[in-house]
Amino acid sequence: MVELARTPVVLEVPATVGALGDVAAFVLRLAGRAGLDRRAAYRLRLAVDELATNIVMHGYRGGDGRITVRGRSGPGGVQITLEDSAPAFDPVAGRLPPCPGVPPQDRRIGGLGIHLALTSVDAFAYVYRDGRNISTLTVKAEGTDPCPPRP
Amino acid sequence: MPLSVSLSIEGDTTVIELSGELDAKTAPDFHRTIEKAAGHGTTTVEIRMAGVGYMASAGLRSLVFAQQKVADDVTIKVVGAIEPVSRTIRTAGLDRSIVLSDE
Repeated sequence: MVELARTPVVLEVPATVGALGDVAAFVLRLAGRAGLDRRAAYRLRLAVDELATNIVMHGYRGGDGRITVRGRSGPGGVQITLEDSAPAFDPVAGRLPPCPGVPPQDRRIGGLGIHLALTSVDAFAYVYRDGRNISTLTVKAEGTDPCPPRP
Repeated sequence: MPLSVSLSIEGDTTVIELSGELDAKTAPDFHRTIEKAAGHGTTTVEIRMAGVGYMASAGLRSLVFAQQKVADDVTIKVVGAIEPVSRTIRTAGLDRSIVLSDE
């Protein structure tokens, strides 16, 4: 188990592309507080960025909406929860692994963002509750990189 | 962090140099430059990414767009990408059609 602060810090932003930078800065601050190394901080940021971008582009489909980001950090890692009230969408079901046999121009890159997100974190959970999508991502300080660089 | 994009021609290579962060907000700038670069008709399009500290899947979409815009016999090279950026390109399988090199 990752040891985390009891009380989360909270950021609420409009679901716009322009707000993604605020989300990234929020996540990187938490990563710094938890002492994540550069690689783990990058993975956390990438995962949150991809899921938040997906909420903006596909969840609310460019319409009005809000995203609530809750973060808890501790010596063991960082846990981020993303909440939105767009139509129900389970990222695990929408995941699209890369398909080596398909030419790049025929691939759906959209689902690839979610694939990147899910392969970047140490743990992921999704629940739809009270009309809200709630995704929880954890990156451990000592986590094993689930997709290590090739030698 | 914004993205700066420059475009030049060196011999038979069109060079796009990127610096900053490539994400959903900044990728449209890269897209526009790719359209211009594709019109140059050089045999190689070299994308210098050493100055890119972060790339999201929006950047992958731009690279796929570049492949679609150029002729089949044009080589697209990504040069100098930092490890997490080149890893993202490999995760998407784009290293099969785009040449990744350190320099």
